[in-house]
This record gives sequence, C-alpha cells and structure tokens, in this order.
Amino acid sequence: MAEKKATTKKTETKKDTKKVAPVKDDVKKQAPAPAAKPKAAAAPAQVGSTIKQEPRIGVFVCHCGTNIAGSMDIPAVQEYASTLPGVEYVDNYQYMCSTPGQSKIDKAIHDHKLTGIVVAACSPRLHEPTFRTATKEGGLNPFRFEMANIREQNSWVHMHDREGSTDKAKDAVRIAVAKAKLLQDLYPKTVPVEKSAMVVGAGVAGMQAALDLAAAGIKTYLVEADTSIGGRMSQLDKTFPTLDCSQCILTPKMVDVGRDQNIELYTWSEIEAVEGYIGNFDVTIRKKARGVLTPKEAAARGIVGGGCNGCGDCDAVCPVVKPNDFEVGMKPRKAIYINHPQVVPLIYTIDFNSCIKCGLCVTACGSEKRAIDLESKDEFIKVKVGTAILATGYDIFPIEKKEEWGYKKYENVITSLEFERLICASGPTGGHLVRPSDGQTPKKVAFVLCAGSRDNTGTGKPYCSRFCCMYSLKHAHQIIEKIPGCVPYLFYMDIRSFGKMYEEFYYRIQDEGAKFIRGRVANILEDPKTKNLHVHADDTLLDRPIDLDVDLVVLAAAIQPKADTNRTRKLFGVSCSMDGWLLEAHPKLNPCGTTTAGVFLAGVCQAPKDIPDTVASAEGAASAASIPIHKGEVELEPYFASCIEERCAGCGMCVNLCPYSALSLVEKEGRKVMQVTEAKCKGCGTCGGFCPGGAIWMNHFTTPQIVAQIDAFLLGGEQ
Amino acid sequence: MARSKGYPEALEKKLHDQRYFADESNPAFTKDVKTISRTIPQMCYQCGTCTGSCPSAPRSTYRIRKFMRRAVLGLENESLTDPDLWLCTTCYSCSDRCPRDILPTDTIMAMRNLAFKKDIVPVNFLKTVQAIYSSGHGVPNNDVNRAAREKIGLTRDPPTTHMYPEYIPAIRKILDHYKLKANADRIVKEREG
Repeated sequence: MAEKKATTKKTETKKDTKKVAPVKDDVKKQAPAPAAKPKAAAAPAQVGSTIKQEPRIGVFVCHCGTNIAGSMDIPAVQEYASTLPGVEYVDNYQYMCSTPGQSKIDKAIHDHKLTGIVVAACSPRLHEPTFRTATKEGGLNPFRFEMANIREQNSWVHMHDREGSTDKAKDAVRIAVAKAKLLQDLYPKTVPVEKSAMVVGAGVAGMQAALDLAAAGIKTYLVEADTSIGGRMSQLDKTFPTLDCSQCILTPKMVDVGRDQNIELYTWSEIEAVEGYIGNFDVTIRKKARGVLTPKEAAARGIVGGGCNGCGDCDAVCPVVKPNDFEVGMKPRKAIYINHPQVVPLIYTIDFNSCIKCGLCVTACGSEKRAIDLESKDEFIKVKVGTAILATGYDIFPIEKKEEWGYKKYENVITSLEFERLICASGPTGGHLVRPSDGQTPKKVAFVLCAGSRDNTGTGKPYCSRFCCMYSLKHAHQIIEKIPGCVPYLFYMDIRSFGKMYEEFYYRIQDEGAKFIRGRVANILEDPKTKNLHVHADDTLLDRPIDLDVDLVVLAAAIQPKADTNRTRKLFGVSCSMDGWLLEAHPKLNPCGTTTAGVFLAGVCQAPKDIPDTVASAEGAASAASIPIHKGEVELEPYFASCIEERCAGCGMCVNLCPYSALSLVEKEGRKVMQVTEAKCKGCGTCGGFCPGGAIWMNHFTTPQIVAQIDAFLLGGEQ
Repeated sequence: MARSKGYPEALEKKLHDQRYFADESNPAFTKDVKTISRTIPQMCYQCGTCTGSCPSAPRSTYRIRKFMRRAVLGLENESLTDPDLWLCTTCYSCSDRCPRDILPTDTIMAMRNLAFKKDIVPVNFLKTVQAIYSSGHGVPNNDVNRAAREKIGLTRDPPTTHMYPEYIPAIRKILDHYKLKANADRIVKEREG
C-alpha cells in the first residue's frame, strides 16, 4: 500500500511539468496499427481521423449510492482525474447507470467533443453494455468506452480503509484513462443463425422447452439418454400441492412431443461432440444401439409395414430377467424392455449388456414387422443448430453413504423415490405401500427430511434440495388417505413451504394428523427379529431425546446433478458451480443463460427446482434460445485477433495453439500468412501473446493499450 | 433479578424470572470457546443430531445441543455453572454425525477448561487428577480387575505405569507443569476441609 501511495504522489507532483506531453508518443506507437484495415470499407475515414485526433477523455465517477461513496473520497478521485493528461472533462453522479447519469455522458460528448469515455463504477460484467450504449448515443463508437472498477475490486473489499481505497481508485482511473486514449473504433461482426435448436434431456424441463421452441416454428432436436422421454416426473405418483396425478398431466405432453412435426426426437442417444459457436453449432448425436427398428427405420430398410409397434411379444419370450431401473429396481424387466406402458416413443430397447442373443425375440417379432436387429451398432448423426438448451436433470444422492440411517443395510429403510413407485397405482405393488421385509402394510412411518441435504461434512450436500419438504408432506397425506390408522412422523429441521399454496398445504397435512417432530434423525437401528426400526432423534422443541419404534422409514434423500452432466457441459463449454450444478450467466438477472453465447439452461441441471419452477425455467430458456433464431443473426464482440501480414512469417505456431480452431495458414502473394475466422475467435489472446514476430493484433486489447496501462500503473502515467 | 414473591421455596423457583437478557451474553465467551475448541460452535443450527446421538442424554439432564446454543449466544455463566457440563463421556458420537461438521465434544471440553479456570469443577474430577498423580491412572487397577485379567490370560497389571512405576515421575512433571495437582489439592481442601 505504502509503495502504491508513493507512486500516486509522484504523479501528482510531476503532473505540472508533464501536462500534455505524452500524447504525441501515443500517436506514434499507435501508427502501425492495422486493426481497422480489414474494416476500412465498413468504417470509412472515421477510423483514421480519430486516431490522429488528440485524445479528449471524459471521466465520470459513480457514487453507487453509498456502495462506492461510503468508503472513498469521490471528490478527491474526481479532482485527481481532472489533472490527468488527456482528460478534458470530469463529473460525478450518484447513479451513473440511471437515465440522468447516462445522459451526462451523452451531453459531455457533444459539449466537449470527447474522443473517449471512462466511467469509474462497478464491474464491467454489470454495466459495460449500459455505458457502451450511452457512449454510442453521444455519437462515439461504443468501443471508445473503458470502465474502471472501483466497486467490486475496491470499495467493497476495502470498506474500512478510506484513504487506501481512494488511492486505489485514483490508480484505477489513471490506468483506464491511459487505455481510453488509445481506444479505436471497432465494429461488431454479425453472423447468421441456423433456424433450429437443440434440447438435451427430455424430462419435463426439456419437453416443455422443446414444445415451446417447436410452437414458435423452430425445428428442435430433442435428445434423451433414456429409452423414453418423461424423466423424473414420470416416476412420480402425485404432485404437490394440488395432488394431481403426475402421469395424467405429463403423458399428454409426452404424446405432444412425440407427435410434433417440428420436434425430431432422439431417445437412447447422447451428445458425442459439439463444434462451432452461437448460431452455428455442429452437434454430433450418438444414437446408441437399440436393437429394435422404429417403423420409419424399418421402412428405410425396405421392410414395408415393419418396425416395432410396441406389441410386447418379444418381452414375453425373452429369457433374461433384470431389475427395472425405472421402478428403482423393485420390479423385473427383460433384456428387451420398455420402462412402463405409457412410454414415448413406444419402441422396445435391447439392453445389450445382458442380452444373450438367443434370438427368441426375433422369432416372436415375426417376418412381417422384422423390428429386431441383434447386430445393430451405435450410429452418429450430425445436426446444425443455432442455439442449445441443457436440461440434464438430477440423480438421487447415494444415501447409503450416510451410514447412520442404514439405507441398503436395513430392508425397511427406503428412499422417497422408492416410496413414489410403491404408492403409485402403476408401480410394482399396484399402489399398495408395503414393508420390503415382509410385504406387510406399515402402521407407523417415519420420514427423515434433509437426508444428506444441508450437510457440510463432505459426505452429504451443503445445499437445500428444495422440494423434499413438500413431497414428504404429500407422502404423509397419501399414507393417511390410503392406510386408515397409519401415522406418518416427519422428522424435520425447518419445513420450507415457500411456494404458491405450499404453506396452506402444510396446514392441511398437519390437520390431517401427520406428526411433526423438530429434530434431525441421529441414527436408526433395526430390531433384527421384527425388522422394525428405532429412530433416534432429539425432539428439540420438547428438549427430550426420542426413540420412535416404526415399521418403515422413508429417507428424503438429497439430489445431485445427473451422472453424465459433467461430460455434457464440457462439450458445450458451460461451467458449473462448486456443487456441480450448471452455472447460470447471472443468478438473478440471467438464470437461464450461460457464459457461452447460445447455450441455455432449463430445470434442475442449474439448481434444485420443483415442477412449477422447472417448467417456468424451461419456458424462460426456450424464449431466450428462440431470440437469436428469430432475429436471424447475432452480433459477435469485435475482440478477435487479426494478422499484421507484413510481419507474419507464416510459421503456423499460433494455428495449433488456438483453443477454438479459429486460425489457419493461407497462401497470399506467394507466401503463407495466418488468417483468422473471426466468428470462431473468442479474443482469448493466446495467439497474440505467443506470436514471436508480434504479428498478431488483439483488437481492444492491443499491445500498445496494455503497455500504456502498465506504464500508467507503474510510472504514474509517464511513458 | 425478579423480586421474591414470598412463596414456598419450590414454587419460588418455578416462578422466578426465566428470561435471559442481553447483558447476560458475553461475546468474548463465544470467541474463547471457539479458540480453545478449534471448532465452529457458532455454525450450529440446532438440529439436535448431537443430543439424539448422545448416550448420556437418555439417562440424564445433559443436553449437548443446549450447550451449543449457549456457546452461540455467549451465555457464559449459564454454561459454566451448569453441573451437566460434566456429564459428557467424550464418546464423540455427536462429532461424528454433526451435519454442520462442528465438534460439539470439543466445545464441551473448551467450556470445562474455562470452568476450571474459575475453580468450577466437581470434586470427583479433581480426585481423578489426584489418582493420576499418584498412580498414572484415572481409574487405577484393582484386585477384581487383576483376577479378571488373569482369567483371560493377561498379565495382572497392564503394561502402563502399573507395570513400569518408574515412569510415574514423568507424568507428575507434566501435571506439575500445569499446576493441575496443586490446584486440585487446593480446591478439594477448600470444599472438604
């Protein structure tokens, strides 16, 4: 700090002797800049003229209410800015991002013939677009704007060091002014957008997003890893708080998806590779070997009227029995199977990991349909899409890791998903809730909430899984409704009934006779003879430990991102937060977007959500994903690299370094030079930093600009 | 403090002012407990997993969760003068299961530490100190144990200071260094004369 202060003071003392001196130097350094050359046609004359102009910079310091002004001396920063060479105008305002704040910029550009704007305020992530627009409205090229962050990286972190933060703000302003003096006019490039979209995952989120996109007239590829669409919601019995049957409201949607002319459905498929950028993604879909032909595929092979019609004759003869994952392993299936009778598409699938290729199914299918092909292989299909939505959903946390609750050790400890299947009329028991140990109907059921959620031990999940409270209330209701005399006990820490009609639902369930015990379950022990369970907890409201003897325990297990999420997100270049959920562009203002342009998030893959929130987020993602498609073209930030051909030796080293495959070598005037595909370039600077000949010019982050910034910091503005 | 209402003693106790007031809270206590215990008692969300796991709780008035709450609120007097503080067996079940990854056992140990500094400690704990000083054992071996050991083919005395009494002086040196024996003797004398 002391060192930095000294630097600042040095500048202040020397400023009188220096005044406007460095300006000419800048012009010289700037001279070889070829940046605007390729653009010369699009930006006539203006570029050259502004470069030769002496820089006239306007500096605006924002108070951000007390966010900034509360921890530094704004007048001192403004006063200091006015002494910097090249600064023509200074001002401050309480909220620069407001309409009056922005019009200050507009007015100052006109009144003082400014050539560059510096706003010292928040992070450019927040308001750079705002002030670029204001700069543009004042008649300047929007890229003649530079932001000095004096909030996130200053006032917020140095809240109790007024003098220090003021000095740091002065440094930041000086550095920004140094760059602003060298800024050039840049023109964003537009690229056309393919009029099609992709949705990855066909649970309720993916289905809703696909239906919305399709309804908006967009060709949509819906890719699902399982054999049928429907996702987690199709495994549920009823939905809270309305108690409507999950299948009844979901299956019509599934049928709509299967029927929609604009939706091309790929079940039993995965994303294999993704290339390209917003507007032009080239996606490779891996269609896993299914062993069964759809009528369409059969027709393509010349089998007229053939293909699977879902009759189930094959299922009847198949000798291999495996647990059905859809029923959480509580029901058998064959090696050739469908998840449940309502599947979309109604096409059987062969589990080639367990198929013994006996051929009985082939015979049963008959010579007319000829739907079964035991030798089928994975197929790869390439499609081009403009935008993509990830809706990859969730898995249940392996709750057996929390050993104290005895899941997979005691037969009568089940998860809530198993409960859903047991209580569901189409489930393995036809809707009769029974104890796995003896098939008896339970009379006392304990529900363990926050099982693995809100857990900082490293074995569980630190977050709230968000819908367990509500479905456990629903489970309590279902027990009371279906089993007269059965009492549900809910062990809870907090009942989080935050949604519309949720608190009212809690009230109703309490009235129906469910017992709520405020205490997290410490451990569960089994009576080896009766297979009954002893639930140990602290009734924190009574301040007494409790030992509750129950017939069945249901663990409301935490949820975690679907197993394949990490692979898929990397293909699309999407980040994830520490807990593995996919990272949105902004948690409040852009929850469906990601930091990769053209890729959006829907449903639980972003964070735990109940069905209403999932559907809302899916509709949001579909709307966001359709915007670039309807617009027909997207603007790319003009931060791309360009080649100074006179200096390029054609060594080609940059070509291999580029992480986006944006560079190539081309033959020009008898020699090889590098060429940039601007739409692919993300402006990362890898090539520019490496080029041994200094032949690569990084627009908006040019070497002279960066050197000027470093000089401004280290030398206090002298160059 | 509430005034006496002139009821019989038992009723008076039931009817005394139960509220706690801001001035009872000592923020330094929360800090001290945190520093000594090297854990994070302030992160407790009162789920009760600790008391539910506690082997002492079903058969005593000891409530580890209550002590965690007192640590959060800085209720120093209430914590240190509560005789329940000495009912923890230090089995660490609560620490194993705490979802907030706190070590409640260590919080209790920190409070015992602070209580001892104020001479608040049950005499039986001090007698344990004296027993360690004289024999190197909190619970010295006895004839019943010796017979049992012999029966299962062990030596009559375990390979500790019982077998090697020459190491007892070293243990005494440690206890003397912290003045533990001297303080124990002093307090026992004050209490029992």
